[in-house]
Amino acid sequence: MAKTILIVDDSESIREVVNFTLQNAGFEVFAAGNGIEAQSFLDGRTIDLVITDLHMPEMDGIELIKYIRATSGYSRVPILFLTTESQLAKKIEAKDAGATGWIIKPFVPAKLLAAISKVIR
Amino acid sequence: MDNFQRKFLEEASDLINQLEQALLTLEQDTGNPELVDSIFRIMHSLKGGGGMFGFDNVTAYTHKLENMYDLVRQKKLKVTREMLDITFESADHITSMLNDDGSKTAEIKKNEEILNKRIDAILLGDNSGEIVVSRADEVTQVGVATYYVKVKPYEHIQKNGTNPFFLIDELVGLGQAKVNIFYSNIPDFENFVFDDTYIWWEIVISTDKNADAIRDVFIFVEDDCEVTIEKLADRDIFGLEGIEPLLVCRHDFPFDLDKIKSLVKAITALEKAKNESVLKVKENSGDEHIKKFAKESSISGIRVASEKIDMLMNLVSELITTQAGLNLYADRNKDAELTRIAESLENISRQLRDTAFSITLIPIDYLVVRFRRLVRDLSREVGKEIVFEAKGAETELDKTLIEGISEPLMHILRNSIDHGIESAEERVAAGKSPEGRITLQAYYSGSQVVIAVTDDGAGMNPTKIKRKAIEKGLISSDAQISDKEIIDLIFMPGFSTSEQVTNISGRGVGMDVVKRKVSDIRGTVQVSSQLGEGTTITIKLPLTLSIIDGMLVRIADVDYIIPLSVIDTIFAVEHSKIAAAFQNVINIEGTQYPFYYLRDEFGITENVPEKEEVIMVKYEDRKIGIVVDNITGEYQAVLKPLGKLYRKQDIFSGASILGDGTVALVLDTHKVINQFTKYNELN
Repeated sequence: MAKTILIVDDSESIREVVNFTLQNAGFEVFAAGNGIEAQSFLDGRTIDLVITDLHMPEMDGIELIKYIRATSGYSRVPILFLTTESQLAKKIEAKDAGATGWIIKPFVPAKLLAAISKVIR
Repeated sequence: MDNFQRKFLEEASDLINQLEQALLTLEQDTGNPELVDSIFRIMHSLKGGGGMFGFDNVTAYTHKLENMYDLVRQKKLKVTREMLDITFESADHITSMLNDDGSKTAEIKKNEEILNKRIDAILLGDNSGEIVVSRADEVTQVGVATYYVKVKPYEHIQKNGTNPFFLIDELVGLGQAKVNIFYSNIPDFENFVFDDTYIWWEIVISTDKNADAIRDVFIFVEDDCEVTIEKLADRDIFGLEGIEPLLVCRHDFPFDLDKIKSLVKAITALEKAKNESVLKVKENSGDEHIKKFAKESSISGIRVASEKIDMLMNLVSELITTQAGLNLYADRNKDAELTRIAESLENISRQLRDTAFSITLIPIDYLVVRFRRLVRDLSREVGKEIVFEAKGAETELDKTLIEGISEPLMHILRNSIDHGIESAEERVAAGKSPEGRITLQAYYSGSQVVIAVTDDGAGMNPTKIKRKAIEKGLISSDAQISDKEIIDLIFMPGFSTSEQVTNISGRGVGMDVVKRKVSDIRGTVQVSSQLGEGTTITIKLPLTLSIIDGMLVRIADVDYIIPLSVIDTIFAVEHSKIAAAFQNVINIEGTQYPFYYLRDEFGITENVPEKEEVIMVKYEDRKIGIVVDNITGEYQAVLKPLGKLYRKQDIFSGASILGDGTVALVLDTHKVINQFTKYNELN
């Protein structure tokens, strides 16, 4: 069965690029615009990986990561966050919150898939 | 990789070994057309198999080599040193193509281009010219290095959704690697947290990526695990001679890095010397010496007088017996410490036993050399073209068994050459290749060694055999027996269907003698034959004669031993069920099994237990039950021959002294079944 990935980003273009790349790679993809929306996906369905931006309105990435780690049934789901080269402090914060790894923006499809292959197979 | 492919890879590595063997011999005897033929044949097998199992590159490459040897066969080319060099290197090249997991494709390509150029040079008759390209192994080594990587995750690594296995997987994907796992940190059950990580890894990897790439694998988990990376060598170390034992993964025992490093260093130095000598002197034999030297220096062995080995074996046998005594004593005394010591001592004794045995083993290759000659000479004598092939000749057998099996095998080969393989004309008429083929294949199967001799000859004709058997009065003319049973008749004393008695087989010594000789060394012989397609004779032998793993059973308070190797399953059955059985057939879990009730056969009637054990033993290709009172347990029996007075009896193959000093007889179930079948038929 195809692995399911939840992409959380407030930018529609990023969501679409990621969605397109991942669907082509054979994943089943859900998309959410922010943390609050993302929460509604974590209702018992199987999610194999969450990819989230850090800066989002309503509920940001760090909070979402903490929420996922505290939610039963999802606490061990790998989480990758999207970040830029310059945000070192954020990186540490996100790791401490429980993120599994990160993807540096901007990225090409190959890089995205390489990062994903480190955490799910 | 699917099963077929794996099979082919095994075959291919056999073929490559043969190729090397043939090349070594050809090097000494460059004019020998048989060797050229066999090299040609090996190439052909590689080519065919490669095409079938997805190694198209192997097929394409061997095709080229085949062309070269075809010209030699047609006497259009002469075997030269360069040709041999190319073929030797081709063997390595093919091996690396077969083992390529995608990581080395580029180097392999490069290597192939060079080899192809050299082959082309020979095909174009440009044999004298110097080779312009540098030596292939130098080229393949470019950029490849070997690293040692230790990955020790912290216990909590999985808490953030990391699966450390994926990382190891990713790392291994960078090149060719060996992974060693350490379990020693796993706590006992009470302290075990299910998603904590306790195991850690050591990896030796040869890759064309650099240390940074290796570090990158662990980029997400830098703070969650300890990663150590150390460069071991500036080259690929896999496939180096003598490296394999150093890369065997023994859980919880680290790789010996110093040994690996020093071996690689030595080999590199040796190769350098070899390359230099090749460059300096054309047409010298120096490199050959070095090659030989390299071989010798990596195989270190000593010669020991066989009496000393016999002595060692005797002592080990005594030790095993004494060990059994100690176990028994410890068991009775219920002393935990004593039991612990006895158990760990037993562990050591077992290992000592196995090591001592391995010393007495000789590879079957020892016989194959003789057989090769035999086949060659005899096939000339009868004017047939026969190819003899030995597979698995490295399979090892006890010295005594090797001596015992030589004659029966010789006879089987004679039969195949004389009766099995047809004359070239008959073969062609039957749509076969004019030259016949006899294959000897040896392999381990559990605690047994199997030796199968297969010919692609005419096969046995059941009708003819049956007619002969009736003529000779071996069976009655209205006997209703299956084809398989008919073929088994050839094991009857004095059976020979050969139209005329020839010089080679058919001189009174029949398959019955083969069977007897083989069973003298506790082996069995089976034959299967397909009319028109050939015959296979399979001999199964125990690994060794003097110690057997047995099952200790009791009948009327007397101990007996049944060799573990023949036991299939054991069922506990009410006596009433056995007593009620009709015609010695019992229904167990829905299957009907014939059985022998040893109490009846031994004539013991008193104190019949309520529950008895039915031990299913393998008898030819059936299972037959042997009923005993109860089972004591597994037992390593040191086999002692029975005294002179008891030699005549058949059903006990020996005796063993138990820990408490009593004697247990070793049941030969095969003969038990044979004897009681005959006896029951007579009554």
